[in-house]
Amino acid sequence: MKEIDARGLACPAPVLHTKATLQEEKPAAVKVIVDNAASQQNVQRFLESQGFHTTLGQQGADYTVIGTCGPEVGEQAQKSVAPEADSKKIMVMCATDRMGFGDDELGLKLMVNFLRTLKEMGPDLWRLVFVNNGVKLTIDGSEVLEDLKAYEKAGLKILVCGTCLNHFKLLERKQVGETTNMLDIVTAAQLADKVISL
Amino acid sequence: MVFPTDANVLVGLDRADDAGVYKISDDLALIQTVDFFTPIVDDPYWFGQIAASNALSDVYAMGGVPKTAMNLVAFPVKEMDIAILRRIIQGGVDKLTEAGVVLIGGHSVEDKELKYGLSVTGFVHPLHVLTKKNLQTGDRLVLTKPLGTGIVNTAIKAGMAPAGLVDKVTALMAGLNRTAAEVMASFDVHACTDVTGFGLLGHLAEMVCGSGKGVRVFSRSVPIIPEALEYASMGLIPAGAYKNKEFRDSMVHFEAGVDRSRQDVLFDPQTSGGLLIGVIGAQAADLVKTLWEARIDEAAEIGEVLAEPEEKIWVD
Repeated sequence: MKEIDARGLACPAPVLHTKATLQEEKPAAVKVIVDNAASQQNVQRFLESQGFHTTLGQQGADYTVIGTCGPEVGEQAQKSVAPEADSKKIMVMCATDRMGFGDDELGLKLMVNFLRTLKEMGPDLWRLVFVNNGVKLTIDGSEVLEDLKAYEKAGLKILVCGTCLNHFKLLERKQVGETTNMLDIVTAAQLADKVISL
Repeated sequence: MVFPTDANVLVGLDRADDAGVYKISDDLALIQTVDFFTPIVDDPYWFGQIAASNALSDVYAMGGVPKTAMNLVAFPVKEMDIAILRRIIQGGVDKLTEAGVVLIGGHSVEDKELKYGLSVTGFVHPLHVLTKKNLQTGDRLVLTKPLGTGIVNTAIKAGMAPAGLVDKVTALMAGLNRTAAEVMASFDVHACTDVTGFGLLGHLAEMVCGSGKGVRVFSRSVPIIPEALEYASMGLIPAGAYKNKEFRDSMVHFEAGVDRSRQDVLFDPQTSGGLLIGVIGAQAADLVKTLWEARIDEAAEIGEVLAEPEEKIWVD
């Protein structure tokens, strides 16, 4: 188990340390040690937001959070396989970084909110595809970058159109998802039970 | 400790309210308050504005009109450029001017850590003083600013908030409660406070303690900076929020539908938060509508005062 010693650090540093370790090393289990209850709660919330199951502990002046990835827990893993049989495969295709027409500022807000709320689809959400202006949501500075990263970490496959990135000269700036081509997109659309296009 | 008092002290230390009130004559009372803190934003000018807005807020929460102010400054003069202090004070003065308040003095000391704030003096009619302690059954609670500044500031410290959100929250904290107080003055308000370090539920608990009333909070109607809920779920919560929650845990009951992030935001310590107003029930909708017309767009009716359970806060 990966151990992270975040004692002597004030909020939000313990969460940032944990976040960096998850990003760099992708451990299946972590033990985070902090020296106050607030940091312990914050690390617990963070690990749970990243799909970990958590257990809290206290040893003397040290507070610990142990996080384990879902599949590690045998029973949980089996449970999560079962519903997949009757779940749908939904593909969401974003060809724009704005939702609807009219006011651009409003459109962006709506799109951000839409992408954040998408998680309500649960396991039915199968592919998230970005084409044309939509690819701008996957680059640095995007308001939804952290959300998309969280989706990807949770196992959602995110496809980003390479032709489009190239067209906008954004290839280097893409921060999330796999760069993809039209054949992959067409295949995904064919395999999906439902395609939602924006 | 026992503090001496006299007959003209209308609100003093014995009942810890937002500010002290001293009666000068039958139609005039003095409101006095002081508040200062370490920087909560990087920009010195905006820090000055926020500190002034925050200090003025206590006078508005007492139903008064602020008139004069004095600066309180602690500044590391050997390590920091004096131009920074000038920007802070300029921010403070501009905010006072916006409020119609004059700066008439101040005091500074050398300190390792920068601190700024103000003492503010205001006037109120002795019969129109608003305190925390007069909620009546049937009153409705109205909140005039969205919650979440503590959590968003933590996300800013973590480098996880986009620039647009930094600007939005800075403007929110620097916003005066003056208009809200002016609107409130033409309604039948029983009690008022401003939401600051104890968070919404912490300040509400102060209003409920000793009132013999209970309060129900409609958590879904509480205005919240949307990003704050998301950051809360990621554990970007200031330690103060947990302290607030622990301190008032026995008074607060959350219904099952109130998720953890929302609970966290309801205890999030606010800097220069909005007014929390207890108005007679029949006028609540009209108060909110009038606040909206005065461009206090996020004002909302967030709860009601009940005869029981006594001294409990029921959040659903």
